[in-house]
Amino acid sequence: MTRKQKRLAVIAGGMSFIVAAVLLIMFAFGQSVAYFYVPGDLATANLQPGTRIRLGGLVQTGSWVQGAGKTSTFEVTDTISTVKVTYTGILPDLFREGQGVVAEGSFVAGDPVFVADTVLAKHDETYMPKDVADRLKAQGVEMGGKEVVK
Amino acid sequence: MIVETGHYALVLALAVALLSSVLPVIGARRNDAGMMAFASTASVALFGLVLLSFSALTWAYEASDFSVKNVWENSHSAMPAIFRFSAVWGNHEGSMMLWLLILTFFSLLVAVFGRNLPESLKANTLAVQAWMAVAFILFILLTSNPFLRLDVVPAEGQDLNPILQDVGLAIHPPLLYLGYVGFSVSFSFAIAALIDGRLDAAWARWVRPWTLAAWTFLTAGIAMGSYWAYYELGWGGWWFWDPVENASLMPWLAGTALLHSAIVMEKREALKIWTVLLAIIAFSLSLLGTFLVRSGVLTSVHSFATDPSRGVFILGILTLFIGGAFTLFAIRAPALKSGGLFAPISREGALVLNNLVLTVSMASVLIGTLYPLVLETLTGNKISVGAPFFNLTFGLLMVPLLIATPFGPMLAWKRGDLLGAFQRLYVAAGLALVAGLVFFYLDEGGPILAVLGLAAGFYLIFGAIADLWYRSGFGKAATGIAWKRLIGLPRSAFGTALGHAGLGITVLGVIAVSTFQTEHVTEMKPGETADAGGYHLVFDGMNSMKGPNFTEQRAHFSISRDGQKVREVWSSKRLYTARRMPTTEAGIATFGASQLYVALGDPMADGGIVVRIWWKPSVLFIWFGALFMMAGGVISLTDRRLRVGAPARRAKKMPTPALEAAE
Amino acid sequence: MLFWIIIAVLTALVAALLLAPLMRAPKVVEEETSGEAEVYKDQLKEIDRDLAGGLINAQEAENARAEIGRRLIAVSAQSARSTAAGQTLAHRIAQVLVIALIPAVGLGAYLYLGSPGNPDQPLEARLANPGNNMELLVAKAERYLADNPDDGKGWDILAPIYLRSGRLGDAELAWRNAMRLQGVTAERVIGLGETLVQNNQGIVTEDARAAFQEGARLDPKNPRARFYLALAIEQAGRRDEAKAAFEAFSKESPADAPWQPLLKDHIAANSGDAPPAAPGNPSAADVQAASGMSAGDRQQMIRSMVEGLDAKLKDNPKNFEGWMRLVRSYAMLGEKDKANAALTTSLENFPATGQEGAQLVTLGRDLGLDVEGATK
Repeated sequence: MTRKQKRLAVIAGGMSFIVAAVLLIMFAFGQSVAYFYVPGDLATANLQPGTRIRLGGLVQTGSWVQGAGKTSTFEVTDTISTVKVTYTGILPDLFREGQGVVAEGSFVAGDPVFVADTVLAKHDETYMPKDVADRLKAQGVEMGGKEVVK
Repeated sequence: MIVETGHYALVLALAVALLSSVLPVIGARRNDAGMMAFASTASVALFGLVLLSFSALTWAYEASDFSVKNVWENSHSAMPAIFRFSAVWGNHEGSMMLWLLILTFFSLLVAVFGRNLPESLKANTLAVQAWMAVAFILFILLTSNPFLRLDVVPAEGQDLNPILQDVGLAIHPPLLYLGYVGFSVSFSFAIAALIDGRLDAAWARWVRPWTLAAWTFLTAGIAMGSYWAYYELGWGGWWFWDPVENASLMPWLAGTALLHSAIVMEKREALKIWTVLLAIIAFSLSLLGTFLVRSGVLTSVHSFATDPSRGVFILGILTLFIGGAFTLFAIRAPALKSGGLFAPISREGALVLNNLVLTVSMASVLIGTLYPLVLETLTGNKISVGAPFFNLTFGLLMVPLLIATPFGPMLAWKRGDLLGAFQRLYVAAGLALVAGLVFFYLDEGGPILAVLGLAAGFYLIFGAIADLWYRSGFGKAATGIAWKRLIGLPRSAFGTALGHAGLGITVLGVIAVSTFQTEHVTEMKPGETADAGGYHLVFDGMNSMKGPNFTEQRAHFSISRDGQKVREVWSSKRLYTARRMPTTEAGIATFGASQLYVALGDPMADGGIVVRIWWKPSVLFIWFGALFMMAGGVISLTDRRLRVGAPARRAKKMPTPALEAAE
Repeated sequence: MLFWIIIAVLTALVAALLLAPLMRAPKVVEEETSGEAEVYKDQLKEIDRDLAGGLINAQEAENARAEIGRRLIAVSAQSARSTAAGQTLAHRIAQVLVIALIPAVGLGAYLYLGSPGNPDQPLEARLANPGNNMELLVAKAERYLADNPDDGKGWDILAPIYLRSGRLGDAELAWRNAMRLQGVTAERVIGLGETLVQNNQGIVTEDARAAFQEGARLDPKNPRARFYLALAIEQAGRRDEAKAAFEAFSKESPADAPWQPLLKDHIAANSGDAPPAAPGNPSAADVQAASGMSAGDRQQMIRSMVEGLDAKLKDNPKNFEGWMRLVRSYAMLGEKDKANAALTTSLENFPATGQEGAQLVTLGRDLGLDVEGATK
């Protein structure tokens, strides 16, 4: 190979790696990006069962039921609509009724119950998941000033 | 008075930084010795003033002076002294002070240890450091001033976020900042060289130790932070692909690339433009990392300090420094002569591959982190890019690097012998595969792909050993001579081997824990038992404890194996009284490099409690690997070659060959 | 004074340090290439070592030497650029800059940003000498109680202080601790009742009523217990009974008792022609209406009552209790701006330096209000 050919080979190799990386990133986005919804969006969202989403809102007061040991059910509300959620595992320390929460998971076909595999609660007294705060604000729900991360 | 003196010292530091950002540049242009020397003197004064200021703030924390608003907001007199100390940087204002302190500390180091740098390079470098100091002091004074006072002095503080009340917090941010800010020196060197228009192989040698030091600190900071999250957050995870973690990983990847490309530049004077670009990128990402978190643009579990009003200022600083650097780069780069030629298969070629993989995987992390932000700004759609994305892209992209790493050190400069390297490595690869199989057999379960992953880890370790083996000529020369040669090898060769082996160890830990870990969530009542990882746990019962500023419910577990009691752990749920905030303190029992991790959930109505038990095989390898990498960094720093015309040599009165020979 | 001396010395020191390099005789630097040359010489030696160690072969070593040699030549070929003229002038300007800028920026910015003369206030020193700062005395007592949680007297002293400063949760705990350790007295149990009432926006809850009943049993003459028991009846909507209770209480009290006007109000309120209820304490009619209302309507009612109080305080701003209630009410309703405004106005009438003002500040802080803005 001449010097020029070598250089071309190096550049071609580098470019093909980058192209492969770009394709990989696009593929991974298609696989694992989760959109954020509040319960009120779900009616119009037309979700396929099994699509991963993040569901945010407040934990409906009085809705938290601890099942046998590991599975809990609770309702997530944006104060207008409500969605029932089941979750198996240990809920975060700061999971409380009436507080903000984000559940990640999907719906199973033919069942209105949201099956979460991850539940995030606000992380300290002054923290509220930003997504939840924004959306609830848009829905006209005001949080006590201190609770919302602006 | 102490507090006010600290405030005044900070203001005075602004004045010094302002002068120091102008005079040395003029001096360098005019070849004026006095004005260039001003840079060093000013760096000393600057550090002294910032240190005074920082000490005053620390004093206020230690003495619980709640007339200082910042102290009142983030401290509590009942906190143990160590946390009152670490609380200084556990909040936004204090952490910016720490950033500034470290920035000026690095300027001081350059001023003191850079005696044999060309005067103009040193003056310009220190001036660029001073520009950053000006920006940061202004930022602190105008938007995040920790010295503001309260007229009505409260009797008690509001306490520090309990999650941050941990020894990990005392160490993690300073290490991380030492890494972030360390890259400012590489950045300043790059800008100074661009201003000066002089960029040669010697520059690369001068910049390398600083990069290496920053990289070592950043490695330590990331590892520390990861371990802290692992045991303190109680989720049993060690890496969450959280924006804050990504923000620290990106400069690390860029810094690793810089470390390697600077070698090429030093040896062959090739990749000049690329190296300068990397130096700019590494620090830009550090700035981004510091500020994305601080501005609250990215909300994550770490954003314990968020205030949008600072956003504009932050954006200004980012635009000024990153934009300015890239503009200067665009103007100057075409004028730089490119250096030596090399074949694709060569040491240079391998290092280019390393750079390619590192920067592309860094880009994938950057895209994954910023894409949700961009999308939300453009379309209003809120999405989250979670761990699966990063695992898939970053994981796959790193594979070529894992394979190629052991080849690099075995190839010659300019034109390498791939076949020869293959011959040297196939033994290592074979051994690695066997080791992977053995490991897999001992810890059966998990996908067969794990064997390949484990083999990759072992291959990196064996490859690093093989490199030293062949360099010293074991097998070729007599053993005695080989030993002598091994000892005589440059320290950086050991640094390389340790760093590469460390990567392998981390890979081992990651693969082992993600494929073989087991998790049980179960409800237990006192007296009940559970099994995990071949160990037998007995839940003995609960009791209540009172800490200095918290109360806790703790559960006691006895761990036995084959009927023998081997360990006991306490796992607890704490309630921090000042903020009424609960936290989980996991109980962790270590067996070799493996751990049993016991976290408590909610108590049930019938007296039981939900318990989550993980068996985490070889999990500590993840951080052992980081320790190896850090050791590699430290050993390379002591390499005598880096001392020539570079830091660690204070008095270089006679740069004569005689002195060199004597070493 | 000492502070200004320290500042002056610090400024002078820094200026002197910075002037030092500029005072030296002006000098042009020879374009310095020795650093670079040294690096390349060292690289040449490294090649010799690698060659000796067998890491590279002779051919490679020769090539590398040639390459480094070229760099060495390039370095030494760089000629010195120099500009000697005007250095003295430049140094003069720089010196003036240092002398002028350091104190100007330092003092100017500090006077703008800092609080000169504001002394340090380490907690230990303040606790050792708390003066009559209620908050500090409380903090001191709290520290003591944290170590000696079974000292009933301490709780006994703290409880009414908590109640007055609006720390109702703490007050309730303190009353209960005091009773647990020191026994139940009328004073304690009635204090608990009052705490509960305050904590429920003036409604006498069942718990509170039980407490007052216990208090009345222990001390039948206690006016507070009697009043609240009557109020409970009024709030339950049994107007005739309430009127009777207030009237009986009024008759048995001395004619010049300070609570007579209050009783008169309530008697009138429970008679046929009710005047508007005193703000804050909802009248029976209000409560009755409220119990049949939806949550939103009830909120509305409370809001209008609070606004009534607000208007009243505008006419008569020297009502400390009224301000406390107003600030708390707005905060409870989530109207932060109004709460802050009320706090600010109240502090204008009761300066933060006074005891009442301090209570307002504490309250504001407990409620998470912008105390800093309000005290300015």
